[in-house]
Amino acid sequence: MGVEKAGLEREDRVVGGLRVATYRRRGPGPAVVCVHGAGVSSRELLPFVRALGERHDAWTLDLPGFGASAKPPRPLTLPALADAVAGWVAEARLDRPCLLGGSFGCQVVVDTAVRHPGVAGSLVLAGPTVDPRARSPWRLAGQWLRNSVRESPRMAPLNVADYLDAGPRRVLAAFGESMRDRIEDKLPLVQVPALVVRGGKDRMVPQSWAEEVTRLLPYGRLVVMDGLPHMTPYRDPEGLARLVTGFLDGAREEAA
Amino acid sequence: MRPGRAVASFDSATGMLRALARFLHGRDVPLIGQGPAAAEAPAAALLGLANRLPRRLKERAYAAGGWAEAVPMRRVGDIRSGDLARWVAGHYPERRSEVAFIGSSNGALVHLAAALAAPWLPQTLLIPVRRHGVHPDEPREDLRRTRAAGEALTAANPDLVLHQMHDANQDRLMIAGMSYFRVKWRRLPEAYRRYLERNLAPGGTLVVADCGLRWPVTRIGPRHVFQHGALGGATPREYHEGGPRVADYLRRYGSPHRRWDYPPVDEESPEAEWGFEPALLPDLEELAARNGWRLARMGFAAPEDLSPVVADLYRAWYRRRGLPADRLLAECFLLLEPYWTLRSGSVPYWLVFNTEPSCAGLAGYVDRAGPFAEIRLMLFSHGVESVGLASAERWREVLARAGKIGVFTGVDTAAYLRDFAGLALAHRELARIMATAPMPPPLEWRVAEEFLAGREEIEWSEAGARAGLPVGRNPSAPGTDR
Repeated sequence: MGVEKAGLEREDRVVGGLRVATYRRRGPGPAVVCVHGAGVSSRELLPFVRALGERHDAWTLDLPGFGASAKPPRPLTLPALADAVAGWVAEARLDRPCLLGGSFGCQVVVDTAVRHPGVAGSLVLAGPTVDPRARSPWRLAGQWLRNSVRESPRMAPLNVADYLDAGPRRVLAAFGESMRDRIEDKLPLVQVPALVVRGGKDRMVPQSWAEEVTRLLPYGRLVVMDGLPHMTPYRDPEGLARLVTGFLDGAREEAA
Repeated sequence: MRPGRAVASFDSATGMLRALARFLHGRDVPLIGQGPAAAEAPAAALLGLANRLPRRLKERAYAAGGWAEAVPMRRVGDIRSGDLARWVAGHYPERRSEVAFIGSSNGALVHLAAALAAPWLPQTLLIPVRRHGVHPDEPREDLRRTRAAGEALTAANPDLVLHQMHDANQDRLMIAGMSYFRVKWRRLPEAYRRYLERNLAPGGTLVVADCGLRWPVTRIGPRHVFQHGALGGATPREYHEGGPRVADYLRRYGSPHRRWDYPPVDEESPEAEWGFEPALLPDLEELAARNGWRLARMGFAAPEDLSPVVADLYRAWYRRRGLPADRLLAECFLLLEPYWTLRSGSVPYWLVFNTEPSCAGLAGYVDRAGPFAEIRLMLFSHGVESVGLASAERWREVLARAGKIGVFTGVDTAAYLRDFAGLALAHRELARIMATAPMPPPLEWRVAEEFLAGREEIEWSEAGARAGLPVGRNPSAPGTDR
């Protein structure tokens, strides 16, 4: 889906000397910033941002090195990616937005939330990686393959375009970062409400791991979207948007 | 005939027997105890594929499964209750215990016995009998065809009472090719007596699980009744008089009938599957007196009355052990996993079936005892869109009451109701839980007894070990003099 067709605006900002590309649909509700997975970009999230923009000020950003953002000479580490997200939020003058990660993006937003308290008002973790029991390249590749048969075939060309944009070195580096990260040690430090979303047929995020993620989050809550694979934002943008709206409404009521 | 062949595998009593016996052997219950753990992954995959079959084929698979399990009618008279009792007692380890249970089948009771590391000897078993050519909505015809077989069974086994059961609501698919013969021991079988004498410690307590549920029946003979329907989503009245829900159900299933034509009701009798037949009591009193055991009667009005009691007992036990006790596991019918209940630190709440009354009972418990951070729900699929069934949506509303994690465990919600894979996945998914607790040493009987005796859902009474007289906590209450 093209940017104009999706009814989205493209806005770029310079963060830490690097251009960060973002796509936005201005809705009435509070801001939600989406962060994509390993090696990919905002491409897979555009339909979701369009759906979410009905009710929220919905953004998605390309992490430095990926999609339309500038390419740093060396691939960024996970903390550097998280710093870029925190820097972008400050640059965009958003007041404690909800940070929504997809897949590896969950690891980025969790790192952002615990290392930059005050940046995120809440988190949505859609398909949080990586199950500690699968922290080996072979296991991860096996899970990825088993999951891919359930993903929409229309997503494959988008993935290919993303991998070409980023180049093999950055793609592999991102997967390496995802495996080195010990997200389970950071989850107990997340001090904001967090919604964990798992596709019922997600082979990369086993049910037991999604439950453990939720259990470790002090203010976590799990929702399983029956029958969906790993990329819930691509397979059911409307459904996920409804969940996010419900979650943010609930979080606001509890805060009030 | 081999007793294991005569008795239904997919029944409450046998499912509970397997779950508890496996637990007492230190094991969990993959494939509802029907296959080796190694077969679980392929079975889950295969059953998952079967879930995708069209509805008609799945319904035939249920019916064929029931038929394949059932005993040919001409062989019913060969069944001997002594063999059945030996087969039951042979499930359990030979081990000294302070307490043993005997009587009604009950999922909460399985968890109570598991906590105490005590055996439970069922009073009731199901013998499915092959029978063809009867429309499920014609109970009189079922009785006419199977009456002689029932008479042969009771004639050959003077210690049994036969409760033939015809539930055209929930057993619609199964009764296409079989008839339900539930038998209850009215005399203590020799194998039970021997097992108890070998294993129950001197001064120990024999507890009679006495479910007071009764149901309308037609009397066929002195030890033979025909029960009209069964506990579940429909009321006894609906089985008799019909009603809008029954008419709608029969219309949906393309039945030529709009109500059922059960034979006239003569009386109420202990419910076939869950109710306790008190004729067994004198033998138990005699046995207890002879061995110097205390005989206690744990009376409760309906099967699920025990569920909140045992759930609260587990909560108190977990708290004493320093566990949060905020994780609830709701299990349904014969899907029981005592080993992983304890290893996952879960509070067990047993649902007799997947119906609206059970769903309301669970919701009520969660609201009273909660909040629970985690609620897991296993659901048994019986294949019929029966009267009073609670939909997946209704169950989801209960799960939404969880603080953090409210999830189905081993339920394919898209296939639910005809979800074969649940038989493998319920255990498989529960066993993968990442936050586990160590297996505790057994709960002390003294602590449990005090807790049980203090609960209003339970009528606790004790017969003196020697005197054999009931000295109930509340002797004026109905039922204590049974």
